[in-house]
Amino acid sequence: MTAATDTLNPTQGDHAGEAHGHDDHGHHAATGWRRWVYATNHKDIGTLYLWFSFSMFILGGTMALGIRAELFTPGLQFWQPEFFNQLTTLHGIIMVFGAIMPAFTGLANWMLPLMLGAPDMAFARMNNWSFWLLPPSALLLVISLFVPGGAAAGGWTLYPPLSLQFGMGMDLAIFSVHLLGLSSIMGSINIIVTILNMRSPGMTLMKMPMFAWTSLVTAYLLIAVAPVLAGAVTMLLTDRHFGTHFFKAVGGGDPVLFQHIFWFFGHPEVYIMALPAFGIVSQIIPTFARKPLFGYHSMVYATASIAILSFMVWAHHMFSVGMPATAQLFFMFMTMLIAVPTGVKVFNWIATMWQGAMSFETPMLFAVGFVCLFTVGGFSGLVLSIAPVDTQMHDTYYVVAHFHYVLVAGALFSLFGAVYYWLPKWTGYMYSEKMGKFHFWWSMVWFNVTFFPMHFLGLAGMPRRIPDYPLQFTDFNALASVGAFCFGLGQLFFLYNVIHTIRGGVGKAPANPWEGAHTLEWEVPSPAPHHTWETPPSQELVEKGLKEQAL
Amino acid sequence: MTSATLTSVERDRANRRTAIKLGIAAAAMVGFAYGMVPFYNVFCEALGIDRARPELADVHAAAMRVEFDTNVSNGLPARLTPLEPVVAGRAGGLVKAKFRLENLSDAPLGLRAVPSYAPERAGRFLTKMECFCFNALTLAARETRDVTVVLLVDEQMPAELGAVTLSYTLFPLEDKA
Ligand code: HEM
Ligand SMILES: [Cu+2]
Repeated sequence: MTAATDTLNPTQGDHAGEAHGHDDHGHHAATGWRRWVYATNHKDIGTLYLWFSFSMFILGGTMALGIRAELFTPGLQFWQPEFFNQLTTLHGIIMVFGAIMPAFTGLANWMLPLMLGAPDMAFARMNNWSFWLLPPSALLLVISLFVPGGAAAGGWTLYPPLSLQFGMGMDLAIFSVHLLGLSSIMGSINIIVTILNMRSPGMTLMKMPMFAWTSLVTAYLLIAVAPVLAGAVTMLLTDRHFGTHFFKAVGGGDPVLFQHIFWFFGHPEVYIMALPAFGIVSQIIPTFARKPLFGYHSMVYATASIAILSFMVWAHHMFSVGMPATAQLFFMFMTMLIAVPTGVKVFNWIATMWQGAMSFETPMLFAVGFVCLFTVGGFSGLVLSIAPVDTQMHDTYYVVAHFHYVLVAGALFSLFGAVYYWLPKWTGYMYSEKMGKFHFWWSMVWFNVTFFPMHFLGLAGMPRRIPDYPLQFTDFNALASVGAFCFGLGQLFFLYNVIHTIRGGVGKAPANPWEGAHTLEWEVPSPAPHHTWETPPSQELVEKGLKEQAL
Repeated sequence: MTSATLTSVERDRANRRTAIKLGIAAAAMVGFAYGMVPFYNVFCEALGIDRARPELADVHAAAMRVEFDTNVSNGLPARLTPLEPVVAGRAGGLVKAKFRLENLSDAPLGLRAVPSYAPERAGRFLTKMECFCFNALTLAARETRDVTVVLLVDEQMPAELGAVTLSYTLFPLEDKA
């Protein structure tokens, strides 16, 4: 398809001569399970991350359906309240740390070296560790369901004093969070070093793909806040077992302090799940609008501003703890300020589409769906940022609606878009456009059926994290539950679609199946060979692509 | 920063330098999390924000707190009030509490109190020696009666349990009107 493929070094067999010092430890010959357990190749590790993330999505999704089944009608049908609370807690933790975050790390692993013209991630061996810490931490959470007292049941936010009172399920959750944090930090170090030091000639920071930018900023955020979460849960652990009194009022501690530390992590965490999604959408929209990304530089600055501001808004999660009015005002206005760079991004995406030669293949559908629904989530966030309003809505279903618009229709939809966009590169086959479109429209409809009524439930006063509710909430809850089960069914269809593609899909994919894509990953053949860019792409090749992107 | 001009050895060295800096930053952020503790105390003091007052809590005496919660099932003309909503207990000791039970109707009333614990596992460490919930109760019209519960706190009561809520809900007896 492009003449550029022949810049790829075809002599893959004898790369041992190039002393990279990290990826030549016999993995090349490894087959079967060894290939995965000892994986150091960024593509293999990316694949591992993505499958892990999908299985966690199914696990967390099953728990969500457990919640929705119970809430289909008032009264207790399936679970005791204690177990219901374990379901909400594990659903939250598993979706955030098991499904969404590893999926973005997996994509960064797969795509960054390809997009930047690097032979691999900077630290291949550490990369193996960052992945293999994940399955044990997931296992700890699953085991915790079966220990005396059951899993942690105080919500994914693990607030004391409740989290100090649980049985050993809580300890397992704490250790799991430790491992997850360690994995994130190692993954982030890898991403930052790869982006800063391994770009090909001509690819300056201000010219690299937006997905690289958002991955870079996200990785910095993680290095800043994952340790804070680790610190917070360590304090919980020592309060529980080693006689400290960080959060125990009886010894002079303060449970509200935990909320400050947790949300100092927690709000940036929200952007850790949103920024990479912004990056993906910023790759997909220009491709299918056949126009360069509008306002590349303002996108970079907006990403950085969001990241910086995200450290100054944490207490908007705590408007109801009794802060002084000045503090409330500060956090309220800072939160509203974030709407400005976010608005810049939405504006730029729309401006990119404006008068573009648009076509609506599945990745584009998910990207446009993302822009529409993420904006809804952004608006309900703006509503919640108003302190006097939030004191009413705090811990109601309005909040559940809000964060699922940004996490499911935001982060998750962008991930679906990314999978369809890059699947031809990964597998060498084209997915079925018909099935892809069906998956999109099915998800779009049932997502809204599930979560839109939750706004009304919240406004009417239904609290979150309850297994039962008064009769007047019945209809909307039944509707939401029907939507959730249909939505879940659609994701099995997605799995089928991916497997269908791996097995040959609707035919072989060319190196660049998308007319409007000009980033470097499309210059290597499809499927991307095990080793790529062992000699970096030539400056001319890089600049040719950059010119197409108007950079 | 054109990495092409670097040899791979130089690049590995540069990579390691960046990684070490980032590792140090991560370690420093753990310190930051702990640093928020004294900072929070200073901040609250400076702003005059109410804090938990440890001097009001006797760490040794109140190893555990039992809080009482009462509910009455829909439409039942009765009232249940804990006379002391919160009592302190310690591992191996006894906890005693009184409740006032009232029949608000002009007819005799048969009812039963159903207990439950939060957190749930507290139930394993609190044994009811005596409880008005053991038997069905019949109150005469407009009768007010004081009833008691006596709990034995297990020696093995885990310290982290802190506060336990014991909740009673009154239900009408099925067979009586
Ligand atoms: C199939 C799609 C999903 C459904 C039907 C669903 C449903 C629910 C429900 C019903 C709740 C809790 C309600 C309550 O507070 O009682 C909940 C909580 C939550 N969900 Fe989801 N969810 C889905 C996907 C996701 C995804 C993809 C994420 C991504 C991060 C996510 C993150 C969360 C979080 C963080 C909570 C809060 C947990 C807590 O209260 O501690 N959910 N979800
Ligand atoms: Cu926030």
